[in-house]
Amino acid sequence: MLNDLLSIFGSVDFYVAVIRMTTPLLLAAMGGLVAERAGLVTFGMEGMMLMGTVGGVIGSHLTGSVWGGLLLAIIFGMFIGLAYAIMAVTVGAHQIVTCVALNMGTLGLTSVLFGLVFGGGKDAVVQDVVKVASLSTWKVPLLGDIPVIGPIFFNHYPLVYLAFLLVPAIWFLLYRTTWGLKIRAVGEHPHAADTVGINVVRTRYLTLLLAGALAGLAGAFLSIGVLNTWQENMTSGRGFIAYTAIVFGKWQPLGVFLGALLFGMADALQLRMQTMNINVPYQAMVAFPYIVTLIALVLFVGKASWPAASGLPFKREGK
Amino acid sequence: MKTRNSTPSWITGLLDSSLNILIPVLAILAAFIVSGVLILAWGSNPIEAYAALFSGAFGSLNAIATTLTRLTPLIFTGLAVAYGYGSGFFNVGAEGQLFMGGLAATWVAVTFTDLPGILLIPLCMLAAAAAGSLLALIPGYLKASRGFNEVLTTLLINYIAIQYFEWALRIDHPTKGVDQAWTLVNWLGIKDASQPYPKSAEIPLAAELPSLGNLLNSKFMLGLFGHSQSYLDFISTPALNRITLGIVLAIVAIVIMYVITFKTTTGFRARAVGVNENAARYMGIDVKRTIITTALISGSLAGLAGGIEVLGSSHRVIERFLVDAGFTGIPVALIGQLHPFGVGLGALFFGALRAGANKMQIISAVPIAVVNVIQAMAILFAIAGATFDISTRIKKNQMAKKSRDLHEEIQAKSNEVTHA
Repeated sequence: MLNDLLSIFGSVDFYVAVIRMTTPLLLAAMGGLVAERAGLVTFGMEGMMLMGTVGGVIGSHLTGSVWGGLLLAIIFGMFIGLAYAIMAVTVGAHQIVTCVALNMGTLGLTSVLFGLVFGGGKDAVVQDVVKVASLSTWKVPLLGDIPVIGPIFFNHYPLVYLAFLLVPAIWFLLYRTTWGLKIRAVGEHPHAADTVGINVVRTRYLTLLLAGALAGLAGAFLSIGVLNTWQENMTSGRGFIAYTAIVFGKWQPLGVFLGALLFGMADALQLRMQTMNINVPYQAMVAFPYIVTLIALVLFVGKASWPAASGLPFKREGK
Repeated sequence: MKTRNSTPSWITGLLDSSLNILIPVLAILAAFIVSGVLILAWGSNPIEAYAALFSGAFGSLNAIATTLTRLTPLIFTGLAVAYGYGSGFFNVGAEGQLFMGGLAATWVAVTFTDLPGILLIPLCMLAAAAAGSLLALIPGYLKASRGFNEVLTTLLINYIAIQYFEWALRIDHPTKGVDQAWTLVNWLGIKDASQPYPKSAEIPLAAELPSLGNLLNSKFMLGLFGHSQSYLDFISTPALNRITLGIVLAIVAIVIMYVITFKTTTGFRARAVGVNENAARYMGIDVKRTIITTALISGSLAGLAGGIEVLGSSHRVIERFLVDAGFTGIPVALIGQLHPFGVGLGALFFGALRAGANKMQIISAVPIAVVNVIQAMAILFAIAGATFDISTRIKKNQMAKKSRDLHEEIQAKSNEVTHA
């Protein structure tokens, strides 16, 4: 058993898988992080990602180009972000309840949309497997030729590079730009932000559109990236895992990155161990990241870790 | 001024409660209309589709039996969420609690196979409630003692619990007639050792909840009506065996939760903490203890959802048993306006949709997935309706009345306490 584990950790394929598994989580979590910092609970990333998966195949099918797929995935993801924004920001509805509804609705909507495009409507049989133009890997010149490191880090789908570059980019956005300052102010104390002239409503809308776009891409990464197929509920909880990564990372970009990496690694390990018939219960592997997050939450995350105005609707006084 | 005061309180009360009913009803109607557009786009006739949906849910005894089976667990999870939500403990963990409840009930039933039903059934239900509340105790304690967001913790524990459930399904449970060296680990498992599949053994007959079929086929009833051929024909309908005591227990649970919420000190404390934690503390309510009690009550209801499902309907646990009934408890509670009676109606709506979806697909080729859209739209409209400006003024009055009522209740209670 130890030998089996060693052989897993010693193989290049394993690390390639880790990076691939981390990518959709990282894409969604980085977008979600921005909205979270603006005081919005991003429990609805699952729905945004689901819309991204179906947007990817539909866009790719209609335009014949994978870029069309990515574009539609972004639009579909942003559509759910917008719906969430209308409910949570404008109407002021309970955020988590709204998210539960959106996740439920997208589960149905994605199936219907897929059936409309590929099943030909009423009388046709909906196929579960479609082949559309899908992403191909792009090897970084020179760096990709380095032995071991090259194949692990520099021979991936373009979205993988984007996901990992997002970590410093989002950090820069949140801590080194005016917009980031506004976002954090809105998340910590919306009324104070409002009095100094920050448009709370607009800021929250924009962060949700960003979160929707990135979660849409994360979904497309699954449907027209690694798997190149579409099936019902194909994200199977990855949106919730991305949300957990944000919690694990204490709402800090680097922490969220490590969280996504941990979950991605557990995912990859569990896939490997399944094929090698190793005697650790598969379920324990799946549950492992959640147990780690729970323990980390209890031990290290204080009450002050999450944005103070998280989950609360903002209503201007005197209106 | 005078005219306003002269409005009898029963009229304003009626207005208030009619608004509580009106919002969800309008929301459900709006959801059907919006989803109708989707059905049109699909190329089917929405009216035809909805007719099929309705007849699939209520059109025959068989359909009604399916609807009742579907709505029973939703009543329990809906009550679990509603009680927690109204008391400041948003239990998103009903899903995991439900799985553990189902597991615990099955475990007791397949372990103590020789017990008579009159002992075994209550024991199984107790185990289910205990398992659910145990799972809710951790987030309850963390919230009470350290202010942890219960949404995060219940959610995380959900995943861990469901994985434990899936694991237990694959570990042989000590089974009579299977010769094998049983270890401690086996006692944690639930799998039927004589079968290769990840599922538990069927629970003994004694543990199954009695059904309407059992009742009508009993000696007493046969003695009364057994001479009539039409009665004999009727009681041979298989659907009668699927209408069990489970739905009766669910209705009893609604009444009990109504009494607990509105007629007991426990419920009063919980509601006070839900409205305003600081005010409750100021009143001398032990907030920490109240939160933990709330979590335990909510968790035990969700655990019972799984237990009753096993005893009444599935008779064993299998992979992904009762998927989403826990999460659906959230919209059920909200459509039901967080009132126990409302939860019953909300569960009826969701249960009927799920029961009728198959027939809708068969007759008008509308995919079952549309039901998810209808549900989601209904929730969105309902929560939007509850916050929108049209009703804000009325709602405001209602809120003011609620807090006034609560205040009066507090006064009365504290008087009682000082007198005692």
